[in-house]
Amino acid sequence: MSASFNDQLVAVLPRLRRFARGLTGSAVEADDLVQAACERALARAHQFQPGTRFDSWMFRIVQTVWIDQLRARETRRTESEDEALGTGTDEPSRRVEARMALREVQAAIAVLPAEQRLALLLVTVEGLSYREAAEVAAVPVGTIMSRLARARMALLAKLGGDALRGSTEDAKAE
Amino acid sequence: MQRPSDETLIAYLDGELDEQETLEVIKALARDERLQAHAERLNASARLIRAAYDEVLRESVPERLIAAARGERGLSAMRRALARLARWRMVLGERPWWIGVPVAASLVGFVIGGGLGYVAGTEQSASLTAQQDLVTAGAGANWLDSITGYHKLFVKAGVNDRALMDVPADATADAAHKAGQLPADFRLPNLKPWSLEFQGARLLMIDGRPASQLFYTTDNKSLGPLTFVEAESSKSDLAPTFDRREDLNILYWRHHGHAYALVGTADIGYLWNIYNDIAWQLDAI
Repeated sequence: MSASFNDQLVAVLPRLRRFARGLTGSAVEADDLVQAACERALARAHQFQPGTRFDSWMFRIVQTVWIDQLRARETRRTESEDEALGTGTDEPSRRVEARMALREVQAAIAVLPAEQRLALLLVTVEGLSYREAAEVAAVPVGTIMSRLARARMALLAKLGGDALRGSTEDAKAE
Repeated sequence: MQRPSDETLIAYLDGELDEQETLEVIKALARDERLQAHAERLNASARLIRAAYDEVLRESVPERLIAAARGERGLSAMRRALARLARWRMVLGERPWWIGVPVAASLVGFVIGGGLGYVAGTEQSASLTAQQDLVTAGAGANWLDSITGYHKLFVKAGVNDRALMDVPADATADAAHKAGQLPADFRLPNLKPWSLEFQGARLLMIDGRPASQLFYTTDNKSLGPLTFVEAESSKSDLAPTFDRREDLNILYWRHHGHAYALVGTADIGYLWNIYNDIAWQLDAI
Protein backbone atom coordinates (compact mmCIF):
# COMPACT_ATOMS: atom_id res chain seq x y z
CA MET A 1 0.00 0.00 0.00
CA SER A 2 1.61 3.29 -1.02
CA ALA A 3 1.73 6.17 1.42
CA SER A 4 0.29 8.51 -1.19
CA PHE A 5 -2.80 6.34 -1.52
CA ASN A 6 -3.38 6.55 2.23
CA ASP A 7 -2.69 10.28 2.21
CA GLN A 8 -5.24 10.82 -0.53
CA LEU A 9 -7.75 8.81 1.42
CA VAL A 10 -7.19 10.83 4.59
CA ALA A 11 -7.42 14.06 2.62
CA VAL A 12 -10.78 13.20 1.14
CA LEU A 13 -12.31 12.09 4.47
CA PRO A 14 -14.10 15.38 5.23
CA ARG A 15 -15.85 15.27 1.86
CA LEU A 16 -16.66 11.58 2.19
CA ARG A 17 -18.27 12.31 5.56
CA ARG A 18 -20.31 15.13 4.02
CA PHE A 19 -21.40 12.91 1.15
CA ALA A 20 -22.26 10.04 3.49
CA ARG A 21 -24.16 12.39 5.83
CA GLY A 22 -26.31 13.43 2.91
CA LEU A 23 -26.94 9.86 1.85
CA THR A 24 -27.77 8.45 5.27
CA GLY A 25 -29.17 11.50 7.06
CA SER A 26 -27.38 10.37 10.21
CA ALA A 27 -23.97 11.34 11.60
CA VAL A 28 -23.38 7.94 13.19
CA GLU A 29 -24.44 5.93 10.15
CA ALA A 30 -22.44 8.24 7.90
CA ASP A 31 -19.19 7.62 9.80
CA ASP A 32 -19.85 3.88 9.84
CA LEU A 33 -20.41 4.06 6.10
CA VAL A 34 -17.19 6.00 5.51
CA GLN A 35 -15.23 3.56 7.64
CA ALA A 36 -16.61 0.61 5.69
CA ALA A 37 -15.83 2.42 2.43
CA CYS A 38 -12.23 3.07 3.54
CA GLU A 39 -11.75 -0.57 4.34
CA ARG A 40 -13.17 -1.59 0.98
CA ALA A 41 -11.02 0.99 -0.83
CA LEU A 42 -7.86 -0.30 0.82
CA ALA A 43 -8.77 -3.85 -0.12
CA ARG A 44 -9.27 -2.75 -3.73
CA ALA A 45 -6.54 -0.13 -3.98
CA HIS A 46 -5.04 -2.00 -6.92
CA GLN A 47 -8.19 -1.23 -8.92
CA PHE A 48 -7.70 2.53 -8.70
CA GLN A 49 -6.24 3.93 -11.90
CA PRO A 50 -3.66 6.67 -11.31
CA GLY A 51 -4.50 9.80 -13.26
CA THR A 52 -8.21 9.45 -12.65
CA ARG A 53 -10.08 11.36 -9.98
CA PHE A 54 -9.55 9.81 -6.60
CA ASP A 55 -12.54 11.56 -5.02
CA SER A 56 -14.92 10.24 -7.69
CA TRP A 57 -13.57 6.73 -7.18
CA MET A 58 -14.20 7.03 -3.44
CA PHE A 59 -17.70 8.48 -3.93
CA ARG A 60 -18.49 5.45 -6.02
CA ILE A 61 -17.30 3.09 -3.30
CA VAL A 62 -19.29 4.95 -0.65
CA GLN A 63 -22.47 4.77 -2.69
CA THR A 64 -21.89 1.09 -3.49
CA VAL A 65 -21.43 0.25 0.19
CA TRP A 66 -24.48 2.34 1.01
CA ILE A 67 -26.63 0.47 -1.50
CA ASP A 68 -25.36 -2.82 -0.07
CA GLN A 69 -26.37 -1.67 3.39
CA LEU A 70 -29.77 -0.51 2.18
CA ARG A 71 -30.40 -3.88 0.70
CA ALA A 72 -29.31 -5.62 3.87
CA ARG A 73 -31.54 -3.70 6.21
CA GLU A 74 -33.99 -0.85 6.54
CA THR A 75 -32.15 2.30 7.52
CA ARG A 76 -33.31 3.65 10.79
CA ARG A 77 -32.57 7.24 11.43
CA THR A 78 -31.92 8.05 15.05
CA GLU A 79 -33.96 10.77 16.59
CA SER A 80 -31.07 12.02 18.67
CA GLU A 81 -29.95 14.43 15.96
CA ASP A 82 -33.32 16.12 15.80
CA GLU A 83 -33.32 16.44 19.57
CA ALA A 84 -29.93 18.08 19.43
CA LEU A 85 -31.24 21.10 17.54
CA GLY A 86 -30.57 24.48 19.04
CA THR A 87 -33.13 24.39 21.80
CA GLY A 88 -32.14 25.45 25.27
CA THR A 89 -28.84 26.99 24.20
CA ASP A 90 -27.41 30.46 24.56
CA GLU A 91 -27.02 30.86 20.81
CA PRO A 92 -28.35 34.11 19.39
CA SER A 93 -31.82 33.54 17.99
CA ARG A 94 -30.82 34.42 14.41
CA ARG A 95 -28.14 31.78 14.47
CA VAL A 96 -30.53 29.21 15.83
CA GLU A 97 -33.01 30.12 13.09
CA ALA A 98 -30.32 29.74 10.46
CA ARG A 99 -29.36 26.36 11.86
CA MET A 100 -33.00 25.33 11.85
CA ALA A 101 -33.33 26.43 8.22
CA LEU A 102 -30.40 24.24 7.26
CA ARG A 103 -31.89 21.32 9.20
CA GLU A 104 -35.05 21.89 7.22
CA VAL A 105 -33.08 21.60 4.00
CA GLN A 106 -31.39 18.42 5.20
CA ALA A 107 -34.76 16.97 6.15
CA ALA A 108 -36.18 17.82 2.72
CA ILE A 109 -33.21 16.16 1.03
CA ALA A 110 -33.50 13.10 3.26
CA VAL A 111 -36.98 12.28 1.96
CA LEU A 112 -36.02 12.49 -1.71
CA PRO A 113 -35.89 9.18 -3.57
CA ALA A 114 -32.44 7.66 -3.09
CA GLU A 115 -31.36 8.00 -6.71
CA GLN A 116 -32.35 11.68 -6.81
CA ARG A 117 -30.57 12.32 -3.53
CA LEU A 118 -27.43 10.72 -4.92
CA ALA A 119 -27.48 12.91 -8.05
CA LEU A 120 -28.09 16.03 -5.98
CA LEU A 121 -25.26 15.32 -3.54
CA LEU A 122 -22.76 14.48 -6.25
CA VAL A 123 -23.45 17.49 -8.46
CA THR A 124 -24.81 20.27 -6.26
CA VAL A 125 -22.95 19.55 -3.03
CA GLU A 126 -19.75 17.87 -4.22
CA GLY A 127 -19.43 19.80 -7.46
CA LEU A 128 -18.92 16.89 -9.82
CA SER A 129 -19.76 17.40 -13.48
CA TYR A 130 -22.76 15.52 -14.87
CA ARG A 131 -20.41 13.14 -16.63
CA GLU A 132 -18.43 12.46 -13.47
CA ALA A 133 -21.61 11.97 -11.45
CA ALA A 134 -22.91 9.58 -14.10
CA GLU A 135 -19.75 7.52 -13.80
CA VAL A 136 -20.05 7.36 -10.02
CA ALA A 137 -23.72 6.37 -10.17
CA ALA A 138 -23.12 4.06 -13.16
CA VAL A 139 -25.97 5.57 -15.17
CA PRO A 140 -26.12 7.62 -18.41
CA VAL A 141 -25.54 11.38 -18.24
CA GLY A 142 -29.14 12.01 -19.30
CA THR A 143 -30.37 10.04 -16.31
CA ILE A 144 -28.29 12.16 -13.93
CA MET A 145 -29.65 15.28 -15.62
CA SER A 146 -33.28 14.26 -15.18
CA ARG A 147 -32.83 12.92 -11.64
CA LEU A 148 -31.07 16.11 -10.63
CA ALA A 149 -33.79 18.29 -12.15
CA ARG A 150 -36.51 16.33 -10.35
CA ALA A 151 -34.63 16.64 -7.07
CA ARG A 152 -34.02 20.38 -7.48
CA MET A 153 -37.64 21.08 -8.39
CA ALA A 154 -38.93 18.95 -5.51
CA LEU A 155 -36.73 20.87 -3.08
CA LEU A 156 -37.80 24.19 -4.53
CA ALA A 157 -41.42 23.21 -3.94
CA LYS A 158 -40.76 21.90 -0.43
CA LEU A 159 -38.60 24.73 0.80
CA GLY A 160 -40.80 27.46 -0.61
CA GLY A 161 -40.03 31.11 -0.25
CA ASP A 162 -39.32 31.26 3.47
CA ALA A 163 -36.37 28.93 3.46
CA LEU A 164 -34.91 30.54 0.36
CA ARG A 165 -35.20 33.95 1.93
CA GLY A 166 -33.34 32.63 4.97
CA SER A 167 -29.80 33.76 4.81
CA THR A 168 -27.21 31.13 4.10
CA GLU A 169 -24.68 33.65 5.31
CA ASP A 170 -26.15 33.48 8.78
CA ALA A 171 -25.60 29.78 8.69
CA LYS A 172 -22.06 30.30 7.50
CA ALA A 173 -21.45 32.57 10.43
CA GLU A 174 -22.01 29.73 12.89
CA MET B 1 -36.14 28.89 -28.46
CA GLN B 2 -39.21 28.21 -26.36
CA ARG B 3 -38.95 28.71 -22.64
CA PRO B 4 -36.24 26.22 -21.62
CA SER B 5 -37.29 23.23 -19.56
CA ASP B 6 -36.35 23.06 -15.87
CA GLU B 7 -33.86 20.38 -16.80
CA THR B 8 -32.19 22.65 -19.35
CA LEU B 9 -32.25 25.68 -17.08
CA ILE B 10 -30.63 23.74 -14.23
CA ALA B 11 -28.01 22.35 -16.62
CA TYR B 12 -27.32 25.93 -17.74
CA LEU B 13 -26.88 27.08 -14.13
CA ASP B 14 -24.55 24.13 -13.54
CA GLY B 15 -22.46 25.10 -16.59
CA GLU B 16 -23.27 21.85 -18.37
CA LEU B 17 -24.69 23.12 -21.67
CA ASP B 18 -22.71 23.55 -24.85
CA GLU B 19 -22.11 26.97 -26.36
CA GLN B 20 -25.18 26.99 -28.60
CA GLU B 21 -27.55 25.81 -25.87
CA THR B 22 -26.06 28.30 -23.44
CA LEU B 23 -26.68 31.16 -25.85
CA GLU B 24 -30.28 30.08 -26.32
CA VAL B 25 -30.90 30.02 -22.57
CA ILE B 26 -29.26 33.42 -22.15
CA LYS B 27 -31.56 34.83 -24.83
CA ALA B 28 -34.60 33.27 -23.19
CA LEU B 29 -33.57 34.72 -19.83
CA ALA B 30 -33.07 38.15 -21.34
CA ARG B 31 -36.65 38.35 -22.55
CA ASP B 32 -38.46 36.61 -19.70
CA GLU B 33 -38.39 38.17 -16.25
CA ARG B 34 -40.31 35.30 -14.68
CA LEU B 35 -37.71 32.90 -16.00
CA GLN B 36 -34.98 35.11 -14.50
CA ALA B 37 -36.74 34.98 -11.13
CA HIS B 38 -37.09 31.23 -11.43
CA ALA B 39 -33.37 30.91 -12.20
CA GLU B 40 -32.50 33.08 -9.21
CA ARG B 41 -34.64 30.90 -6.94
CA LEU B 42 -32.85 27.84 -8.26
CA ASN B 43 -29.49 29.49 -7.58
CA ALA B 44 -30.60 30.44 -4.08
CA SER B 45 -31.77 26.91 -3.37
CA ALA B 46 -28.43 25.51 -4.61
CA ARG B 47 -26.58 27.78 -2.18
CA LEU B 48 -28.85 26.60 0.61
CA ILE B 49 -28.32 22.94 -0.30
CA ARG B 50 -24.55 23.38 -0.20
CA ALA B 51 -24.70 25.31 3.06
CA ALA B 52 -26.79 22.57 4.64
CA TYR B 53 -23.82 20.22 4.64
CA ASP B 54 -20.94 22.67 5.03
CA GLU B 55 -20.86 22.20 8.77
CA VAL B 56 -19.72 18.61 8.25
CA LEU B 57 -16.51 19.93 6.68
CA ARG B 58 -15.80 21.99 9.79
CA GLU B 59 -16.17 19.03 12.11
CA SER B 60 -13.09 17.17 13.23
CA VAL B 61 -12.70 13.79 11.60
CA PRO B 62 -12.96 10.94 14.14
CA GLU B 63 -9.69 9.19 14.79
CA ARG B 64 -11.21 5.84 13.89
CA LEU B 65 -11.76 7.09 10.33
CA ILE B 66 -8.22 8.40 10.00
CA ALA B 67 -6.97 5.06 11.27
CA ALA B 68 -9.23 3.25 8.81
CA ALA B 69 -7.94 5.40 5.93
CA ARG B 70 -4.38 4.59 6.93
CA GLY B 71 -5.16 0.92 7.26
CA GLU B 72 -4.33 1.14 10.92
CA ARG B 73 -6.38 0.20 13.92
CA GLY B 74 -6.60 1.57 17.43
CA LEU B 75 -4.20 4.11 18.84
CA SER B 76 -1.28 3.25 16.61
CA ALA B 77 -2.43 6.00 14.25
CA MET B 78 -2.12 8.60 16.97
CA ARG B 79 1.31 7.36 17.97
CA ARG B 80 2.54 7.52 14.38
CA ALA B 81 1.10 11.01 13.94
CA LEU B 82 2.91 12.20 17.06
CA ALA B 83 6.16 10.67 15.80
CA ARG B 84 5.75 12.58 12.53
CA LEU B 85 4.92 15.68 14.50
CA ALA B 86 8.23 15.47 16.35
CA ARG B 87 10.07 15.23 13.04
CA TRP B 88 8.23 18.25 11.62
CA ARG B 89 9.06 20.29 14.69
CA MET B 90 12.72 19.71 13.93
CA VAL B 91 12.22 20.82 10.34
CA LEU B 92 10.01 23.81 11.01
CA GLY B 93 11.41 25.16 14.24
CA GLU B 94 9.35 27.93 15.78
CA ARG B 95 7.95 29.56 12.65
CA PRO B 96 4.41 30.90 12.69
CA TRP B 97 1.89 28.19 12.00
CA TRP B 98 0.91 29.34 8.53
CA ILE B 99 4.48 29.05 7.27
CA GLY B 100 4.35 25.42 8.29
CA VAL B 101 1.64 24.80 5.76
CA PRO B 102 3.55 25.32 2.50
CA VAL B 103 6.82 24.00 3.85
CA ALA B 104 5.30 20.77 5.04
CA ALA B 105 3.19 20.53 1.91
CA SER B 106 6.25 20.57 -0.29
CA LEU B 107 7.67 17.65 1.62
CA VAL B 108 4.87 15.19 2.09
CA GLY B 109 1.91 16.45 0.11
CA PHE B 110 -0.27 19.36 1.01
CA VAL B 111 -3.02 17.86 3.02
CA ILE B 112 -1.21 15.81 5.58
CA GLY B 113 1.73 18.18 5.63
CA GLY B 114 -0.55 21.14 6.09
CA GLY B 115 -2.16 19.62 9.12
CA LEU B 116 1.11 18.65 10.76
CA GLY B 117 2.76 21.96 9.92
CA TYR B 118 -0.02 23.69 11.72
CA VAL B 119 0.53 21.69 14.84
CA ALA B 120 4.27 22.12 14.64
CA GLY B 121 3.96 25.88 14.76
CA THR B 122 1.52 26.04 17.60
CA GLU B 123 1.23 23.80 20.60
CA GLN B 124 2.82 20.42 20.92
CA SER B 125 -0.28 19.22 22.64
CA ALA B 126 -2.57 20.26 19.82
CA SER B 127 -4.81 17.40 18.90
CA LEU B 128 -5.38 15.71 15.60
CA THR B 129 -8.78 17.33 15.50
CA ALA B 130 -7.15 20.74 15.21
CA GLN B 131 -5.12 19.49 12.30
CA GLN B 132 -8.24 18.29 10.60
CA ASP B 133 -9.84 21.70 10.92
CA LEU B 134 -7.00 23.15 8.91
CA VAL B 135 -7.10 20.32 6.40
CA THR B 136 -10.73 21.10 5.84
CA ALA B 137 -10.16 24.81 5.59
CA GLY B 138 -7.18 24.54 3.27
CA ALA B 139 -7.69 21.72 0.87
CA GLY B 140 -10.40 19.28 1.76
CA ALA B 141 -13.46 21.15 0.65
CA ASN B 142 -14.60 21.98 -2.81
CA TRP B 143 -12.84 24.33 -5.17
CA LEU B 144 -14.43 27.52 -3.91
CA ASP B 145 -13.83 26.64 -0.29
CA SER B 146 -10.19 25.93 -1.08
CA ILE B 147 -9.48 29.20 -2.89
CA THR B 148 -11.21 31.08 -0.10
CA GLY B 149 -8.91 29.39 2.40
CA TYR B 150 -5.83 30.25 0.35
CA HIS B 151 -6.87 33.88 0.09
CA LYS B 152 -7.25 34.08 3.86
CA LEU B 153 -3.85 32.48 4.29
CA PHE B 154 -2.28 35.31 2.27
CA VAL B 155 -4.18 38.01 4.08
CA LYS B 156 -3.11 36.64 7.45
CA ALA B 157 0.49 36.30 6.34
CA GLY B 158 0.84 39.80 4.95
CA VAL B 159 2.85 40.82 1.91
CA ASN B 160 6.17 40.90 3.70
CA ASP B 161 6.17 37.22 4.45
CA ARG B 162 7.83 36.00 1.31
CA ALA B 163 7.98 32.41 2.49
CA LEU B 164 4.55 31.96 0.99
CA MET B 165 5.54 33.17 -2.48
CA ASP B 166 6.78 30.64 -5.01
CA VAL B 167 7.21 33.49 -7.49
CA PRO B 168 7.97 36.84 -5.84
CA ALA B 169 6.64 40.04 -7.36
CA ASP B 170 10.09 41.19 -8.44
CA ALA B 171 10.72 38.08 -10.54
CA THR B 172 9.94 38.73 -14.16
CA ALA B 173 7.40 36.49 -15.84
CA ASP B 174 10.02 35.43 -18.39
CA ALA B 175 12.44 34.37 -15.70
CA ALA B 176 9.71 32.53 -13.85
CA HIS B 177 8.71 30.70 -17.02
CA LYS B 178 12.28 29.74 -17.73
CA ALA B 179 12.71 28.45 -14.22
CA GLY B 180 9.63 26.35 -14.70
CA GLN B 181 7.94 28.14 -11.85
CA LEU B 182 4.84 29.02 -13.83
CA PRO B 183 2.79 26.93 -16.25
CA ALA B 184 3.80 27.54 -19.85
CA ASP B 185 0.39 28.99 -20.74
CA PHE B 186 0.19 31.27 -17.74
CA ARG B 187 -0.05 35.03 -18.14
CA LEU B 188 0.09 37.72 -15.52
CA PRO B 189 -2.80 40.18 -15.68
CA ASN B 190 -1.76 43.78 -15.13
CA LEU B 191 -4.19 45.27 -12.62
CA LYS B 192 -2.28 48.47 -11.91
CA PRO B 193 -5.04 50.58 -13.49
CA TRP B 194 -7.14 49.37 -10.56
CA SER B 195 -4.40 50.39 -8.12
CA LEU B 196 -3.82 46.69 -7.49
CA GLU B 197 -0.17 45.87 -6.98
CA PHE B 198 1.02 42.35 -7.73
CA GLN B 199 2.75 40.92 -4.64
CA GLY B 200 3.65 37.45 -5.78
CA ALA B 201 2.33 34.09 -6.91
CA ARG B 202 2.00 30.72 -5.37
CA LEU B 203 1.63 27.37 -7.10
CA LEU B 204 -0.97 25.05 -5.66
CA MET B 205 -2.85 21.85 -6.19
CA ILE B 206 -6.56 22.43 -5.81
CA ASP B 207 -8.83 19.42 -6.15
CA GLY B 208 -5.88 17.54 -7.58
CA ARG B 209 -5.21 20.02 -10.38
CA PRO B 210 -2.41 22.59 -10.76
CA ALA B 211 -3.40 26.14 -9.92
CA SER B 212 -1.68 29.50 -9.68
CA GLN B 213 -2.70 31.97 -7.02
CA LEU B 214 -1.78 35.61 -7.61
CA PHE B 215 -1.99 38.03 -4.74
CA TYR B 216 -2.62 41.74 -5.17
CA THR B 217 -2.85 44.50 -2.62
CA THR B 218 -4.00 48.09 -2.79
CA ASP B 219 -4.40 51.13 -0.56
CA ASN B 220 -8.03 51.24 -1.60
CA LYS B 221 -9.70 49.50 1.32
CA SER B 222 -12.98 49.05 -0.50
CA LEU B 223 -11.17 47.02 -3.16
CA GLY B 224 -8.44 44.86 -1.74
CA PRO B 225 -6.57 42.74 -1.01
CA LEU B 226 -7.50 40.51 -3.90
CA THR B 227 -6.58 37.02 -5.07
CA PHE B 228 -6.76 35.87 -8.67
CA VAL B 229 -6.69 32.10 -9.21
CA GLU B 230 -6.05 30.35 -12.49
CA ALA B 231 -6.36 26.56 -12.53
CA GLU B 232 -6.64 23.73 -14.98
CA SER B 233 -10.15 22.40 -15.40
CA SER B 234 -11.78 19.60 -17.32
CA LYS B 235 -15.21 21.15 -16.98
CA SER B 236 -17.09 22.94 -19.72
CA ASP B 237 -16.99 26.72 -20.05
CA LEU B 238 -18.96 28.64 -17.47
CA ALA B 239 -20.16 32.21 -17.56
CA PRO B 240 -19.02 34.45 -14.69
CA THR B 241 -20.83 33.36 -11.56
CA PHE B 242 -21.02 35.14 -8.24
CA ASP B 243 -20.80 33.34 -4.91
CA ARG B 244 -19.95 34.05 -1.31
CA ARG B 245 -17.83 32.05 1.11
CA GLU B 246 -17.76 33.20 4.69
CA ASP B 247 -17.22 36.98 4.43
CA LEU B 248 -15.62 36.94 0.98
CA ASN B 249 -17.00 37.61 -2.48
CA ILE B 250 -16.03 35.29 -5.31
CA LEU B 251 -16.49 35.72 -9.03
CA TYR B 252 -15.51 32.59 -10.93
CA TRP B 253 -15.71 31.36 -14.49
CA ARG B 254 -14.31 28.70 -16.80
CA HIS B 255 -12.88 29.21 -20.26
CA HIS B 256 -11.11 26.81 -22.62
CA GLY B 257 -9.92 24.29 -20.05
CA HIS B 258 -9.12 26.78 -17.32
CA ALA B 259 -11.00 27.82 -14.22
CA TYR B 260 -10.56 31.36 -12.95
CA ALA B 261 -11.65 33.11 -9.80
CA LEU B 262 -11.39 36.49 -8.13
CA VAL B 263 -11.61 36.39 -4.35
CA GLY B 264 -11.75 39.28 -1.93
CA THR B 265 -13.85 41.65 0.06
CA ALA B 266 -14.44 43.93 -2.95
CA ASP B 267 -18.07 44.24 -3.89
CA ILE B 268 -19.45 42.48 -6.91
CA GLY B 269 -19.34 45.62 -9.06
CA TYR B 270 -15.58 45.91 -8.65
CA LEU B 271 -15.10 42.19 -9.24
CA TRP B 272 -17.20 42.31 -12.37
CA ASN B 273 -15.18 45.18 -13.85
CA ILE B 274 -11.88 43.52 -12.97
CA TYR B 275 -13.15 40.29 -14.52
CA ASN B 276 -13.85 42.16 -17.75
CA ASP B 277 -10.35 43.59 -17.71
CA ILE B 278 -8.72 40.21 -17.04
CA ALA B 279 -10.85 38.44 -19.63
CA TRP B 280 -9.87 41.06 -22.19
CA GLN B 281 -6.18 40.78 -21.31
CA LEU B 282 -6.11 36.99 -21.37
CA ASP B 283 -7.92 36.85 -24.69
CA ALA B 284 -5.99 39.71 -26.19
CA ILE B 285 -2.45 38.72 -25.34
